[in-house]
Amino acid sequence: MIDKNMRFLVVDDFSTMRRIVRNLLKELGITNVDEAEDGQVALHKLKTQHFDFIVSDWNMPNMTGIELLRAVRADSQLKTLPFLMITAEAKRENIIEAATAGASGYIVKPFTAATLEEKMGKIFQSLNK
Amino acid sequence: MSDFAGMEDLMQDFLLESTELLSDVDNKLCELEKRPNDKALLNDIFRGFHTIKGGAGFLNVSAMVTICHRTENLFDKLRNGELPLSSELMDVILDATGVVRGMFTTLSQGLSPATPDAGLLAALDSALAGNLASSAAATAKTPVVDTGAAPDAPDWNVLHAAVTGPATVSAPVVAVPAPVVETVADTPLLPVASPKAAPAKVAPQQGMASAPPENTIRIDTVRLDQVLNLSGEIGLTKNRLTTLRTEILQGNMETHTLRSLDEAISQLDLLVSDLQNAVMKTRMQPIGRLFQKYPRLARDLARQLGKEVELVITGEETELDKTMIEDLNDPLVHLVRNAVDHGVESSEERISVGKKPQSLVQLSAEQVGDHIVIEISDDGKGMNPEALRRKAIEKGLIDAETANGLDEKQCLQLIFLPGFSTKDQISSVSGRGVGMDVVRTNIQKLNGRIDINSEQGVGTRISISLPLTLAILPVLVVRACNQPFAVPLAMVREIIPIDVAAIQEVSGRPTIVVRDEILPLKTLAGLLNWAPTQKPQFGVLMQSAEKSFILAVDSFVGRDDVVIKPLQNIRPKGVAGATLSGDGSVVLVLDMEDLLMGQADAPSGGAMMLRNADNYSY
Repeated sequence: MIDKNMRFLVVDDFSTMRRIVRNLLKELGITNVDEAEDGQVALHKLKTQHFDFIVSDWNMPNMTGIELLRAVRADSQLKTLPFLMITAEAKRENIIEAATAGASGYIVKPFTAATLEEKMGKIFQSLNK
Repeated sequence: MSDFAGMEDLMQDFLLESTELLSDVDNKLCELEKRPNDKALLNDIFRGFHTIKGGAGFLNVSAMVTICHRTENLFDKLRNGELPLSSELMDVILDATGVVRGMFTTLSQGLSPATPDAGLLAALDSALAGNLASSAAATAKTPVVDTGAAPDAPDWNVLHAAVTGPATVSAPVVAVPAPVVETVADTPLLPVASPKAAPAKVAPQQGMASAPPENTIRIDTVRLDQVLNLSGEIGLTKNRLTTLRTEILQGNMETHTLRSLDEAISQLDLLVSDLQNAVMKTRMQPIGRLFQKYPRLARDLARQLGKEVELVITGEETELDKTMIEDLNDPLVHLVRNAVDHGVESSEERISVGKKPQSLVQLSAEQVGDHIVIEISDDGKGMNPEALRRKAIEKGLIDAETANGLDEKQCLQLIFLPGFSTKDQISSVSGRGVGMDVVRTNIQKLNGRIDINSEQGVGTRISISLPLTLAILPVLVVRACNQPFAVPLAMVREIIPIDVAAIQEVSGRPTIVVRDEILPLKTLAGLLNWAPTQKPQFGVLMQSAEKSFILAVDSFVGRDDVVIKPLQNIRPKGVAGATLSGDGSVVLVLDMEDLLMGQADAPSGGAMMLRNADNYSY
């Protein structure tokens, strides 16, 4: 269902967290993963390299996840890129904010590989519709 | 047994990264006291707790999640202006960071931390409830991580449905997939030992001192790549040399071949020293990692003592060998505590002598040549050389005659004597079993030097001078009794020719006057208790912590960067170790402090042992 060769970008300022997400993706057989430590770095990578999927933290210095999301959606090249927002915020207004900004999915920490897979599955389902 | 089997690696990373983060938060908290309305600071602190909480959640450290979550919510309110920052609130927050730090220690021992103290949680909760809207209160009280079904799970489905509609309609962008919302609080990641079930296993919460030394290091990949690159280059040069050797062994001695050999060797020379530098750089860490813990330390201590102290840090980007950074912690903590405790006066005292009520302690690091200089200075009352002199005599550390012969600067050095403490009573602050003598011993172990400057009424400045690395020691190679010896270059001030006519006898001991300074003259042969083979030609002006003297040697070879190999089995007095010189012969590296002590205590014994070491040299 999920194409294992897809190229993922994991964005988080906390390297442990990037490693955790990377490990979870690996459990799902996804190994083509690059990392960025904040929105700015991520945006630069997105503009210079090809990616198929973004998994981003919300709270980051320099450029937050939501700012990155808005920037991605406003970019004609990147706007259709699936964007999974990861955060420890489980507040209603945050979810609405992410949704209106165009997040493809929203996942609350901590989560398991199974949850991640399910979430990604749903995203691809709606993409292929 | 570890409670976190299989996750040690991840845990290590988490601890390393979050400990740094927490220190940063601590500093920002100290800053916050000065600028309570700084939104950027509040934001940073909020994010710090938030990030730690996120990581702790994945590692199933629910106790940490509980506490970080509450603190984070508190800062959310603070940054949104929903709560004012009071000093009581600040204390609660600082308590919370202390507890989180304690949890890091527990975790580093492979145990799961206990549920935080109910009192603290209650304090955080009541702080949160200070003035809130009811909806926010509900969020705050919801425990984030809990085993068992999350009570709010169905909520998300409703919300999900509610959110999907407006999102697709109002979204200005095309083809945005519908959001998928879910929490996973109902799926525990890994079985975790219940904190309540194992209260006995809990390590001391305030275990800052007992933390095991870090044995991992984070290296900038650029530096690592450089090492890799250089070792590759060296491999290529080695191949070139192997080829040349074959050619030469086959009798090819043409100029062309020899020139290639020369080139290859010079290249190797360059590459090896580059590699040494590059490897050394991988061990270099910014000293800021150490410094960042101190503002909190100074703040807490000052508060406890009822003083107003500001700790200003500069040069935190200065880099130092990692092992040295760790070994510097205890001495620096002691010096910072000293400055706050003994150095600066109370606000009332300061006002009465016309100073600002707030005192200033400065901590700085700077690279000066091939040395790192760390300075701790305060604008306090300074030290009284007379009082120190009296104290030392009173305590029987030195006799009155010696004491009277000391100048003011030498009096200040008295605080480094074992058993010297200017305060009679041991306060809860000092008296941790570390005296200034231990500080000095620790610094000297790092081949460093510590100096004091103090002016009464103006303040005290303590400077520590350290070599960049312990791996390579710059030395001056001298000759005495037809044998080369190496002395640490750090102690060498200058080299002077010895003019026999300039030697004067002062109370039966030979001295030389150098720029109005009377310096005792000691021959190296004499210190070693060897029979001199010739009249010393040169004097090396040596400066150690408290005494300067001239070391008379037969001649000198030059300076060198050496790697010291400790001698196995034998430990001759005055010898730090041995090294190989360029021509392959063994050179003894002298430990001057030890050698001088040997002269005073047991002149013949030390020399006899040195004779044994002699076998090593030839």
